[in-house]
Amino acid sequence: MDTAQIFLALIAGLFLAPLAVGVITGIDRRITARLQSRLGPPILQPFYDIGKLLGKEAMLANHWLAFCAFIYLAGAVTSVVLFFLQSDLLLIFFVQAAGSVFLVIGALSVPNSPYSQVGAHRELLQIIAYEPLLILVIVGIYMTTGSFQIDAVYAMDQPLLYKMPLLFLVLGIALTIKLRKSPFDISGSHHAHQEIVRGVYTEYSGPYLAIVKVAHWFEIALILGLLSLFWSTSVVGLVLLLGITYFVEILVDNTTSRMTWRWMLRAAWITGITLSTINLLWLYYG
Amino acid sequence: MLDTLLFILVVVPFLAALGLYALRIESLRMALVLVTAVLLTGASLALFFVETIAFSTTLLGVNPKPLIIILDYVILLIFLGVGISARHWLIISLSTGQLILLTVFQLVSPVQDPGQILFMVDPLAKLMVAVVSIVGSVIIIHALPYMKNHEEHLHLPRSRQPQFFALMVLFLGAMNGLVLSNHLLDFYFFFEVTTLCSFLLIRHDLTDESKRNALLALWINSLGGLALLTGVLWIAFDLGTLNIQQILAAAPEAAFLLLPIGLLCFAGLTKAAQLPFQSWLLGAMVAPTPVSALLHSATMVKVGVYLILRFSPAYAETFFSVAVALVGAFTFLAAAALAISQSNGKKILAYSTISNLGLIIACAGINTPTAIAAAMFLIIFHAVSKALLFLCVGTIEQRIASRDIEDMRGLYEIMPVTALIAVLGSLTMILPPFGMLLGKWMAIAASADHILLVTILALGSAVTVLYWARWAGLFMSYPHSGKVAAESQPVLTRLPLLGLIAGAVLLSFYAPWIFNALISPAIALMTVSLPETVPTTSWGILVLDRGSFPVIPLFLASAVGVLIALYFFKAAGRVQLSGPYLSGAQLPEDQNSYTGPLLASVKPSTSNYYLEKIFGENVLNRYVNTAALMLIILMLGGGL
Repeated sequence: MDTAQIFLALIAGLFLAPLAVGVITGIDRRITARLQSRLGPPILQPFYDIGKLLGKEAMLANHWLAFCAFIYLAGAVTSVVLFFLQSDLLLIFFVQAAGSVFLVIGALSVPNSPYSQVGAHRELLQIIAYEPLLILVIVGIYMTTGSFQIDAVYAMDQPLLYKMPLLFLVLGIALTIKLRKSPFDISGSHHAHQEIVRGVYTEYSGPYLAIVKVAHWFEIALILGLLSLFWSTSVVGLVLLLGITYFVEILVDNTTSRMTWRWMLRAAWITGITLSTINLLWLYYG
Repeated sequence: MLDTLLFILVVVPFLAALGLYALRIESLRMALVLVTAVLLTGASLALFFVETIAFSTTLLGVNPKPLIIILDYVILLIFLGVGISARHWLIISLSTGQLILLTVFQLVSPVQDPGQILFMVDPLAKLMVAVVSIVGSVIIIHALPYMKNHEEHLHLPRSRQPQFFALMVLFLGAMNGLVLSNHLLDFYFFFEVTTLCSFLLIRHDLTDESKRNALLALWINSLGGLALLTGVLWIAFDLGTLNIQQILAAAPEAAFLLLPIGLLCFAGLTKAAQLPFQSWLLGAMVAPTPVSALLHSATMVKVGVYLILRFSPAYAETFFSVAVALVGAFTFLAAAALAISQSNGKKILAYSTISNLGLIIACAGINTPTAIAAAMFLIIFHAVSKALLFLCVGTIEQRIASRDIEDMRGLYEIMPVTALIAVLGSLTMILPPFGMLLGKWMAIAASADHILLVTILALGSAVTVLYWARWAGLFMSYPHSGKVAAESQPVLTRLPLLGLIAGAVLLSFYAPWIFNALISPAIALMTVSLPETVPTTSWGILVLDRGSFPVIPLFLASAVGVLIALYFFKAAGRVQLSGPYLSGAQLPEDQNSYTGPLLASVKPSTSNYYLEKIFGENVLNRYVNTAALMLIILMLGGGL
């Protein structure tokens, strides 16, 4: 990569990616509302929300919450920037994991807040449900391209989806858990009919909640980036793949209800690992 | 120069131990411990300036062989005596077995080795010596104020500190001797000394529980000793030599050698407390915390991984090697899962040690240059971080009189400095840019060609994050109340903690240099004819044939992130604390309570998820121990 490309990657990672995700979240809310026979907020509502939260008076139950919110953001931003710099996928995964760990640590640092504690533990269970799946998807990419580096994916002349259809499904499961969409909205739901107090987010408030929300946008950007690698050969294919996948996510979110964490762990590990193993065996012997 | 260094590293601890045992004056003991620590640290650092491979055939001009044989018998007879007095048939039969084998070997030894190489210094040995001597010394220094405090609580008629410090220092000498020996029979001797030291240290407090657990440790490690001795004799009769370098050179062609090497690895598994042999290490936590710290980080369990790693060239590219990797990977996952259900701080640390050693053994089994490098990184960083965490728990335990992490809720309010060090220590175990994660990253990258292995490692890696994140969050917590002020501690408590945390961070930063100076030469010597390219570094970025880890850039990015977060943390200090969210029913006078039924004030209490119905010891132990035993049989059978 030359300097200009690195500069472009930084711009894309730092600004374009979160803005795009903000718009996607707005569209998501709108479609969801229509599916629930509501009108829904304007597309730009997520940005208005952030603006409103930033203007609120800061209130904290523990000063470390502020620290943890910013480290969560730093981890998420670094992982997205590394993605646009076409770095090592496994490393990118571990960097984003560092960010999400701090979201949990912050929530845990308020010792006698029942909602926050329960949400944090549930979030940890979400993490152990999706992390192995993400690693296996990355291993599949390695087996296909011979490298963990993203640039090796772009050197392929055929979309990864042809070789890794089952691993794409596995990534879909991981995406649903990471996005905290039903049936996996266990640690904190965005549907008021599931819960009103938002689990792991309970103690983050005002400007700090805004930071956490922006960090989550970066996380979504990273997962969408991973999805996009599955059709790296053409822009049209990439946009179509992302559009269809996200629409399916919204449909699943609105047609299922929240399940228990036991069900999630079983579903994610058994289904995810079985599918990954089959697909990895294809790649190994293919 | 080399002779002097070897003398300091191996013999001086033995002499210092004698001195410490004889001295009953506290100030002199302190001085002697500090002098030994400085000498060991200095000598282990000076060893880096010796050429890449160096030999010594004598110890300061003397051949200690006859003395070693006599001491072998002394130790085995001690074990036998312990077994007889406790009527412990396993210990009696295991030590008798070793006595018979040793005697047979003395009578009909096929080994002709006049002027054999006694000690060999190579990069792997240098690395191990540094870990043992430096981390070990720090632990012993921390033990000085700790033990004084410990005995004040017990009101002993006569201080038992002389024995205690003598054994701790002796342990370090035995460890140095073990990693430096080039003759398997000397190796066996030092192996037995570590068993003896651990036995005596575990029963140090002389309670019923500690005596029982010491016997448990003794029989399991004697089983390892018997396996080791059998393997050693087998190799001697097969090859006619016990010179480790000659064995490694002969191994690829020699027939039936994998089975005795399998026995050596078996001995390694017992020492490293791998499943199903984990019970002795879990039982060992009844000992004073400095003992646990020493057993878990710098000594004892590291013997096991060192043994397996040292012999890894002998079984490269065999099915046996894959089986070793599976045994290690399985322990990595199973021990991490068992750690979830624990609330005893020391037990969590113990399971984490077992789990991480499993990862190191898995790396040795994967046996590619990347994996071997990962194993060495993990040995270094695990030793530093784990020693730190044990010392933190010990320090906390002496203050709050509990080792249960539920009692450490709100710890930040009582002892913020120790709590923060413990949090940072736990983060160095799991997060980038720290060294443990670098090792884990290399291990997963190296295992990616093996589907079953990488799946187990992926699961284990996730489960590990769960119990450490919980630990960190809990230590950072503090209830809504007044100001938090730094606690005061003795200098010899505070300095080792600060030193170790600085070590964990700085060593991680210098990982690329450590790789170039130490690990790269070591793997060049250990992996002779392998197809995979060796990792390299450039500009602080570690480059594999299949990926890259920008250590220094990541450190800089993290530093920026942490500085920003710290700025906002400071700014948040001006924010009025509001108390937790309690559905709007908070009491105006007490923000931590809410108005409950009948207008009574209720203070909510919370606790961690321990998921005992899924990850509890009584649920999992049966299955995982059986599975681990099967895998070990698979491994030994793979040697056929």
